[in-house]
Amino acid sequence: MEPLLKIKDLVTRFYTEDGVVHAVNGISYQMDASETLGVVGESGCGKSVHALSIMRLITSPPGKIEGGEILFDGRDLLKLTSNEMRHIRGAEIAMVFQDPMTSLNPVFTVGFQISEALMLHRAMNKKEAREQAGELLTLVGIPAARQRLDDYPHQFSGGMRQRAMIAMALSCDPKLLIADEPTTALDVTIQAQIVNLVKRLQEDLGMAVMWITHDLGVVAELARNINVMYAGYIVERGNVKQIYKYPSHPYTNGLLGSLPRLNEAPGTKLVSIPGLPPDLVALPRGCPFAARCTYVVDQCIEEMPPLQKIGAQEHYVACWRWEDVRRRAA
Amino acid sequence: MAEITPNEVGITDFALREHRSLWYDAWRRLISSNTARLGMFIVALFVLSSVYAHYFWPYEPKSDLDYSLKLKPPILAPTEEIESAHYFGTDKLGRDIFRRVIHGGWNSLRVGFVAVGISLSIGGLLGLLAGFFESTPLSSREHIFLHGLIGAVLSLLSAWIANQYFQAVLFAGLGAVAAIYNRFLAGKPARFLSFGLAGAIFSGAPALLVSPYIALVCAILGALVGVILSQPLGGQFLSSIIMRAMDIILSFPGYLLAIAIVAFLGPGLEKGMIAIGVVGIPVYARLVRSVVLSVMQKEYILAAASVGEGHGRILSRHVVPNILSPIIVQTTMGLANAILSAAALGFLGLGAIPPEPEWGAMLGDSYRYLASGAWWAVVFPGLAIMLSVLGFNLLGDGLRDALDPKLRII
Repeated sequence: MEPLLKIKDLVTRFYTEDGVVHAVNGISYQMDASETLGVVGESGCGKSVHALSIMRLITSPPGKIEGGEILFDGRDLLKLTSNEMRHIRGAEIAMVFQDPMTSLNPVFTVGFQISEALMLHRAMNKKEAREQAGELLTLVGIPAARQRLDDYPHQFSGGMRQRAMIAMALSCDPKLLIADEPTTALDVTIQAQIVNLVKRLQEDLGMAVMWITHDLGVVAELARNINVMYAGYIVERGNVKQIYKYPSHPYTNGLLGSLPRLNEAPGTKLVSIPGLPPDLVALPRGCPFAARCTYVVDQCIEEMPPLQKIGAQEHYVACWRWEDVRRRAA
Repeated sequence: MAEITPNEVGITDFALREHRSLWYDAWRRLISSNTARLGMFIVALFVLSSVYAHYFWPYEPKSDLDYSLKLKPPILAPTEEIESAHYFGTDKLGRDIFRRVIHGGWNSLRVGFVAVGISLSIGGLLGLLAGFFESTPLSSREHIFLHGLIGAVLSLLSAWIANQYFQAVLFAGLGAVAAIYNRFLAGKPARFLSFGLAGAIFSGAPALLVSPYIALVCAILGALVGVILSQPLGGQFLSSIIMRAMDIILSFPGYLLAIAIVAFLGPGLEKGMIAIGVVGIPVYARLVRSVVLSVMQKEYILAAASVGEGHGRILSRHVVPNILSPIIVQTTMGLANAILSAAALGFLGLGAIPPEPEWGAMLGDSYRYLASGAWWAVVFPGLAIMLSVLGFNLLGDGLRDALDPKLRII
């Protein structure tokens, strides 16, 4: 089957006064229709930038997509005109952002903002769009949705705003929903509700979901596959269970090790990865993780390891010493 | 103890509260503030009295002259000697100052509104474009338009020298070509050369009809325009052109520039409006650009783009409504400023043409009689200026507090 989204050697850079920021450095992967993909990594590792590159919403200048291909449904998004791209956004790929407090326009009612997307892409009239907006709000679990259409965003709580944002994103039945840390700004109980909501919607509507987060627990619950990103590279990619069971990149291993566990003895210290991620303006020649890695050898400093397939299942790792890492982790 | 069932306990369903918009909230805050109410009262007083006087209390300044009533102090009731009441006294030509102050209000307010209208519409539009395109890449159609516009504007100088205005159209065309074929020899010196040469020919050849020297000057200017057009111009460039032009206007002292413009256009109330309006343009352009830049960073702009909304829609639906509140405040304050500037021009004899009543001109006419004790001829027009400016400033202050979302009443 043809994959829904196929990214090949995507490179995105920002030309700032301090130098060229290498935000995304040639990543390649693919996603099937109705697959849930988790993209994890710490702040500033290129997760959001690569998502915005797919939407072609990188602010330019200073940002620029330097190369690669983004094949969506067989079309290369990077070759479309800005007008054609506008018809893809919202209608085929939708996005939910991190901060629900600022992602709704404060001067319009929630209902108006949802119906606007409907009128734009589905050529509905005002009345139909309002009707549909009410249904969407009900779908995302807002009580008394029809009455709340006339509310302004400041009358909604954070969780409700994020639900409204999801309703807006779903309004045109997108084939792919990109959720860029949608739960980071919410408290834990609301987080769980949003995760369950997206899970339910994904099963009902059969769309593909890309969930960007730094919360490994959320990913375990939602995703089938994950991409672990570091300094603009994909360092490990594969099935969630496989990766959690046999982490084969020292960074993934470190991330998993830094999670608190319920069955730990009280008083156990949380493990953290020493050091800081590299400066994206001056990336090292070899593996960007080498400076923080306990498995480092000379080859790591000299040469960036390629993303190679290991084992029989879909599991890729970019590490020279993955076998040692895997053995130690298991 | 009476038993009650849970159904009887009164619960306000918070989902069914009234739907209050930000504007409604702002209005409630505005009318709850004493100073804002005072400001509104003063402004309403001036607006209503001058509108009423203009339409229902006719006044013919040209025939209003009675030397027998020269410089009479205020009297509240008619006497045998003076047959009509003059609440504010009379001036050196025996004209009733009360009547002239009220009618002068029509002129002053008109200058205020028209001048602010000019500054706001031109400055606001320039600021909006500068701020928006500084943070958004231009679409290809906008690129063509921008290049054409820059070509037309830049070539006007050489077109003016050679007296061949169709050159502006040729350069607009050249700009559009440069924008369409932006990949043609991209980044190579050959690109400058070919566009520079095209510019030189476009500009120099028709000027040859006038004289060879003019043709040379125009060819050099044209080559320069061609080289500029061959560059990959973007929103940043548009923004810096607009903002540098604003800086040039700002570098003149405001009154001096207004006086210079009036001196150039000739005196008259309408010319005064234009002069004050032009001086105010950079204030609005800079204000609008700065608020647009901050609104463009908000996530709802990104969210709007991510559902596929175009530039026009983002501007009209998301940017403009969110920058309104600082603009409303600035406009109100600006009205006070414009009234003051109009009075200053009138005082210098550059605003309204003499018999026409105008507060500043009335002050200028009468201050010489202050020494002979005719205080009323100066105090009442002066009070009118002071009160109207105070009223607009109080209202502006109140609006600023009311429109600040951090002070929202829940």
